[in-house]
Amino acid sequence: MRRRPQLPLPPEPDCQQVGAVLQSYLDGELGPDDAGIVAAHLEHCQRCEIESATVSKVISVIRRQRPDLDPAPIARLTGFIDELEREGTDTRE
Amino acid sequence: MTASVRVVAEDRTDARFREQVLPELPVLYRVARRLTGADADAEDLVQDTLVKAYRAFDRFDGRYLRAWLLTIMRNHHRNQLRKRRPDLLEDEVAQRLPGRGHDARVDGVDERAFRDDFDPAVRAALASLSTKHRAVVALVDLDGLTYREAAEVLAVPVGTVMSRLHRARGKVRAQLEGRLVEDVN
Repeated sequence: MRRRPQLPLPPEPDCQQVGAVLQSYLDGELGPDDAGIVAAHLEHCQRCEIESATVSKVISVIRRQRPDLDPAPIARLTGFIDELEREGTDTRE
Repeated sequence: MTASVRVVAEDRTDARFREQVLPELPVLYRVARRLTGADADAEDLVQDTLVKAYRAFDRFDGRYLRAWLLTIMRNHHRNQLRKRRPDLLEDEVAQRLPGRGHDARVDGVDERAFRDDFDPAVRAALASLSTKHRAVVALVDLDGLTYREAAEVLAVPVGTVMSRLHRARGKVRAQLEGRLVEDVN
């Protein structure tokens, strides 16, 4: 069973505490203090470092599936914002 | 406030709106495509969202712009769905995100998202996820949303996003374990 993340982390968390926040750490969702504590733990804990590398790899292979975005609709939507602003200003005038 | 001063102030608001919202367009469009399942509908949904956001921009507190825009988009999309399909239950709305249900449009989005020429094992692992798990992976890993932003779109607590993401990635990992060990070592 996955342990619930307990934040903020103590200065020297155990492996379970690190494991509970590892996903948030890898997703950049931890604050700088907690992220620093996790990074320091991974420096000296080989078991957690291997786990981190594996989870990181899973995230990476999934994210490589991200489809390219067609620039045409984004360009049209940019034009729409310009139009919106013009009409907004005109209305106010 | 005189009329001319008001126009200057409103022009500044316009400039801030454009400057702040433009960088969010790709994410808005990606999420809209996931919600609607069709490119043309997605563009319409983003346009409606922009109009509502533009009108309400004076009341925006300046924090978490993307989450604010996504909330407007999600609410508008839900209202549209209610009008078209009043029988649709709330949690079904969330499940229509990259799902594998009966809606062909949604299936179409999935195909687009996952058909890239990449390791078929990853595609198979993603395709095997439940609708709820796949929705979270799609929003966070493919669309680049934060936990909070994905929670806004799905109308679930952030903790639910985290646990679904953990479970979904765990399932992908279990199916790819052999290859990942080779890669990591």
